[in-house]
Amino acid sequence: MVAAATGGVVIGGEFFLAGCKNPEAGVGESATFGESDIAFLDEVAETIFPKTSTPGAKDAKVGQYMSVMVTDCYEAKDQQAFRDGMKKINEACDKMHKHGFMKASPEQRKELLVSLDKERAEYQKNKKKEDPNHYFQYFKQLTIMGYFTSKEGREGATNYQPVPGRYQGDIPYKKGDKVQTGLS
Amino acid sequence: MADNNTFDAIVVGSGISGGWAAKELTEKGLKVLMLERGHHIEHIKDYADTNKPVWEYPHRGGRTRKMVEDYPVLKRDYPLNERNLSYWASDKDSPYVEKKPFGWFRGYHTGGRSLMWGRQSYRWSEQDYEANAKDGIAIDWPVRYKEIAPWYDYVESFAGISGSLEGLPQLPDGKFLPPMEMNVVEKMVAEKIKQHYNNQRTMIIGRTANLTKEIPGRTTACQFRNICWNGCIFGAYFSTQSSTLPAAMKTGNLTLRNNSIVTEVIYDKDTKKAKGVRVLDAVTNQTYEFFSKIVFLCASTFNSTWILMRSATDIWPDGLGSSSGELGHNVMDHHLKLGASGDVEGFEDRYTFGFRPNGIYIPRFRNLPGGEKRNYIRGFGYQGAASREGWGRQIAELNIGAELKDALGEPGKWTMGVGGFGEMLPYHDNKITLSKDKKDKWGLPVLEFDVEFKENEKNMRIDIVNDAKEMLEAAGIKNVRGGDGGCEPGWGIHEMGTARMGKDQKTSVLNKWNQVWDAPNVYVTDGSFMTSASCVNPSLSYMAFTARAVDHAVSELKKMNV
Repeated sequence: MVAAATGGVVIGGEFFLAGCKNPEAGVGESATFGESDIAFLDEVAETIFPKTSTPGAKDAKVGQYMSVMVTDCYEAKDQQAFRDGMKKINEACDKMHKHGFMKASPEQRKELLVSLDKERAEYQKNKKKEDPNHYFQYFKQLTIMGYFTSKEGREGATNYQPVPGRYQGDIPYKKGDKVQTGLS
Repeated sequence: MADNNTFDAIVVGSGISGGWAAKELTEKGLKVLMLERGHHIEHIKDYADTNKPVWEYPHRGGRTRKMVEDYPVLKRDYPLNERNLSYWASDKDSPYVEKKPFGWFRGYHTGGRSLMWGRQSYRWSEQDYEANAKDGIAIDWPVRYKEIAPWYDYVESFAGISGSLEGLPQLPDGKFLPPMEMNVVEKMVAEKIKQHYNNQRTMIIGRTANLTKEIPGRTTACQFRNICWNGCIFGAYFSTQSSTLPAAMKTGNLTLRNNSIVTEVIYDKDTKKAKGVRVLDAVTNQTYEFFSKIVFLCASTFNSTWILMRSATDIWPDGLGSSSGELGHNVMDHHLKLGASGDVEGFEDRYTFGFRPNGIYIPRFRNLPGGEKRNYIRGFGYQGAASREGWGRQIAELNIGAELKDALGEPGKWTMGVGGFGEMLPYHDNKITLSKDKKDKWGLPVLEFDVEFKENEKNMRIDIVNDAKEMLEAAGIKNVRGGDGGCEPGWGIHEMGTARMGKDQKTSVLNKWNQVWDAPNVYVTDGSFMTSASCVNPSLSYMAFTARAVDHAVSELKKMNV
């Protein structure tokens, strides 16, 4: 399916990375992530986790994180699905707002990704185990992971305790108190 | 005799057993050479990741495709991750053959797996030592609880084990540091289990080799960071580096030699004893001989047996200790990867502080004396915990945006889960043998594994899941989900057997003092000596038997018996 959609053949990860480099390609076209890809991923992530009183995904360099994880950790088929996903986000944006994602306003981006996330949730709920994930699953998951494992996310949006020094098994909690995180 | 190749004792291996052997031997005044096959890791100084926050790992602690490719065994379970990869032996350098699947997770460096162990520390009970005799399987243990109890006292006091006194016959109390605390939900669950099962089942705080207060020589207690596996700069959990090695070094009697693969024990036909060991330097490929009055094999289960299989083959083709036909047989582990979990209602106004490197423990309750008999023998325990969900949870009602970020920045609902650890029986046909054709990069014939779980383990697994579900439901946990995730032998990383101890040299490799019947100045005190497996974590027993074996060896030396 993936191969048909891109007109290419899904091949082994390492060859894929070494052999298909094309820095001039558009969003999701290249086999490595260039600056424009990372800028695009940053904007997708920032739409998922915008800056508020706590840091946003861009502050946490989530675009860069996504590119490293996809390149080093994803299997070839997931890499392809992720890249295709970048294109699909752009295309869906074009359809909804008549221009690509990078040209869209924050409100337009949010409107788009809210609709893609609904589509994702519906798809994931009904999919069979062996079916591939909805492409937006990658972006959402990586944003959450990348943000909450970043320095900015941990220090800015959680109660970061690298050396607690003690354990207490029962302390009061009130709504709004941050989740506790540590070194790992 | 006082040249630099001759010592009073040689200890092969520097993990939990080797560290204890070295400490005890040197403190009794013997000059000791400790041989470690891997590189050195210096306490504190070499714990490169001990203070590293998750964002400083390029993949935030995860695993890359390259790691998965390089570690075909390690990848099967949690050990393969970016955090302490250098502490695990290279699968490529040290291959083995799997006639049936067996996951062998090894640590080849100073300290061995004492650096990465789970630290859960439980005594075996009288019932465990009697089990083989009562069930009429394998052979009887040559030791009873009463004989080993003082040695448990001794090693617990030095290692620093925290735990609660419970008075349970199936899980004897020990010399404990103050227990860690159960959290508010665990206390509720423990109380409900106690009531529901009329005190016949108990949930207690785990007993762990983490200091809950300072002890002599170790001045900082646990700081509740829960990153023990990186090595602890506070030295607050028991490892060779934090505990036994400094004690041995302090005597001035210890020489540690790294990169030293022991290829064989040198056996003297005339005296019927070992003279020393032959060593292959893992880096230079040079060979050396070292001589001593006694040899302690503490190279880890399978590796000590592997050395024996390569020794004295001119007399016994299957190696030193093989005269009984039991060397390499009776491989055991614990079987796990199954249990249950669910959601806790309420307690939204309660939380915890700190990261406890420990959980709860549910001691064995099946097939106890006087209880109902199941369709299997022996039993299982559970480890587990209650906690509030963190940022990784699913929130179905929120999709994207600031609301999602804020919601995940707060803790979620409480959940409670338990995972079983089941006893595996000793089967003669679960065995390791030397490969006839496959060699490792040092030219040593590799081990072949022919090990499987059988009927008894499979039947027990059904109870492990069902009992877990039932107990959580009895405790009022909602949406209880249970399951068997499937398990290969080896995944417990509690390898035992292959050089079992016994009363009769025709049916065992070692006698009750851990001496090889065929060479009484060779002691094997890692998990190889185990005659059955119990369902509790075994390391504390290795410590106790090692200290006892050293005491025996030194007194035999004085009497000129070895």
